[in-house]
Amino acid sequence: MDIRFEQAGATFGDRVAVEPLTLSLTERRIAIIGLNGSGKTTFARMINGLVRPTTGHVTINGLDTVGDGEDVRSQVGFIFQNPQNQIILPILREDIALGLKTRRLPVAVVDDAVEAILARFGIEHLAARRAHELSGGELQLAALASVLVTEPEIVILDEPTNQLDLRNRAQVETTLRLLDESVLVISHDLALIEDFDRALMFHEGRLAADGTPCEVIAEYRKIAAP
Amino acid sequence: MTTRDLVLAALFAAIIVALGLLPPIMLGFIPVPITAQSMGVMLAGVILGARRGTVAVLLVLLLAAIGLPVLSGGRGGLAVFAAPTTGYLIGWAFAAFTTGFIAERVVRPSQTSLTQTLGFFVAAVAGGVVVLYAFGITYLAFITGIGMNKAFIGSMAFIPGDVVKAVVAALAGRAVLAGYPLLPARA
Amino acid sequence: MKSLYVEGDSFFHRLPPRPKLILLLVASLALFLTRSPLLLGLAAGAAALLYSSLGIGWRQSRIRLRPILLTIAIVALATLVLNSMEEGIAVLLRLTTLMLLAAAVSATVPIGDFINEVTLAARPLERLGLVKASDIGLSVGLVIRFVPEVDSRFQQLRQAHQARGLKVRATTMIVPLIIQTLKSADEIAAAIDARGIRGQRQARNSEDSR
Repeated sequence: MDIRFEQAGATFGDRVAVEPLTLSLTERRIAIIGLNGSGKTTFARMINGLVRPTTGHVTINGLDTVGDGEDVRSQVGFIFQNPQNQIILPILREDIALGLKTRRLPVAVVDDAVEAILARFGIEHLAARRAHELSGGELQLAALASVLVTEPEIVILDEPTNQLDLRNRAQVETTLRLLDESVLVISHDLALIEDFDRALMFHEGRLAADGTPCEVIAEYRKIAAP
Repeated sequence: MTTRDLVLAALFAAIIVALGLLPPIMLGFIPVPITAQSMGVMLAGVILGARRGTVAVLLVLLLAAIGLPVLSGGRGGLAVFAAPTTGYLIGWAFAAFTTGFIAERVVRPSQTSLTQTLGFFVAAVAGGVVVLYAFGITYLAFITGIGMNKAFIGSMAFIPGDVVKAVVAALAGRAVLAGYPLLPARA
Repeated sequence: MKSLYVEGDSFFHRLPPRPKLILLLVASLALFLTRSPLLLGLAAGAAALLYSSLGIGWRQSRIRLRPILLTIAIVALATLVLNSMEEGIAVLLRLTTLMLLAAAVSATVPIGDFINEVTLAARPLERLGLVKASDIGLSVGLVIRFVPEVDSRFQQLRQAHQARGLKVRATTMIVPLIIQTLKSADEIAAAIDARGIRGQRQARNSEDSR
């Protein structure tokens, strides 16, 4: 994986969400931390083209997030803060199949892929359930399955352990550890990202720290409690 | 339509369906149940505007048509489109459109809240009462053969209820506009 | 919201969705071509037989059919009083037949199949540039998906009112309900775009993204 920001920044109206920055991300597990409103979610959304840079360029493995938007989005999966809003069809199996169906794959191929991803996350028993009835942890796994079924190379997770109980949190942590895909995790859950390969901290729209999780978390604590 | 417009219309359709889960009140002799659901139609126009509001209502009708119990009282299926009250259902789409069309043009962010509420009320009455009843009464008269006059007189009893709904829709529309403005529609 | 689909292995279950939908459509037109109580009675009997073959059970059936039956009864009665006995009976039998057929179709076609059918039916409209056919299925799915969410928000708001000793009023319930629900639109739309579900469409920066 190779994520490159070249003087890329984003503004909404006259509000600067992310100041222009240049950076290259090649590590497999990357954490993004920062206070609420620091620009970390916007930064993450720039990676899959959901937010277009208003200055500069963002490229994923050489593909531009604006010019090759569709290709970029097929390589970069995104799990949103609230997995509730990510499952968009009522029955889980149908929702997982949806991302594949739009690619006009044969039904048998879609079915096999759906079964495989359900098995991979150990959630076969949830396949016929209504999304509305799933618990927080189940929803998080379901959202992950619905995104990973299309085999993206990179997965971005926005606060995946937010509001989960201890058991569900542990399950998400284990799942994250076992993912073969490159992961970028936005989190306030510092224990979750302790052993990541690299960490970035955003503060007031700027990349304020970049290094090992240990170093960056120390910086974060300084900002959080001056 | 942008993805956001599509989602807004779908979510509003879900709101209209949910309003139908509230128990309906039967009034009088004419078989038109009084429900919060028809207020949802006015709200769709007032809050989402003509285009998205109409799409929201069409979605509810489509769901009903394919047999889902989305109409008040758990009704659904093509059978509801074969009833003498079907005119009101068909009228929903035009009611939402008219309400939205007027709301988009009459209500401005710069106006006082009273002016906005009045604008929404006029829009809701024009769509949710005048246009809706024009469809409902014509269809009722046509399918039962009781004639326009009888159909009109029979339906009149329901007009006060719907005017009250227009008041609530106008107040709610104004409050939503203040909290989460979607008008004038961008798409 | 519960889908009306019921698992089963009856003849009607095994029939593909399209013939069933066509049957329903044809019936809804054909039933209005006759007023003969005999023909309509036969049709109602056949529909009842079909419906009973699905194994839905009395209790479920009563929950499903009672509200529609009530409306039909009132309508039939009104027609009988205002017009004639013959018309009243015709309305009763016609609508009951349709209700049973519609209920039978709903009970044997899963939502996913329905969405496929609707999408296919919309293809001609797509060629006219009126709609994007795949959007129809997507939006139908979205509505079904989010009705329970809206309903549980409604219950939460009701409880919040009670907890704070507030009287439950239409505006104080509806306004937060609508704002909360519509606010999730941004994230849902972003999820749809991120998963590439609507194809080519370019993401667009919106003021509401954080």
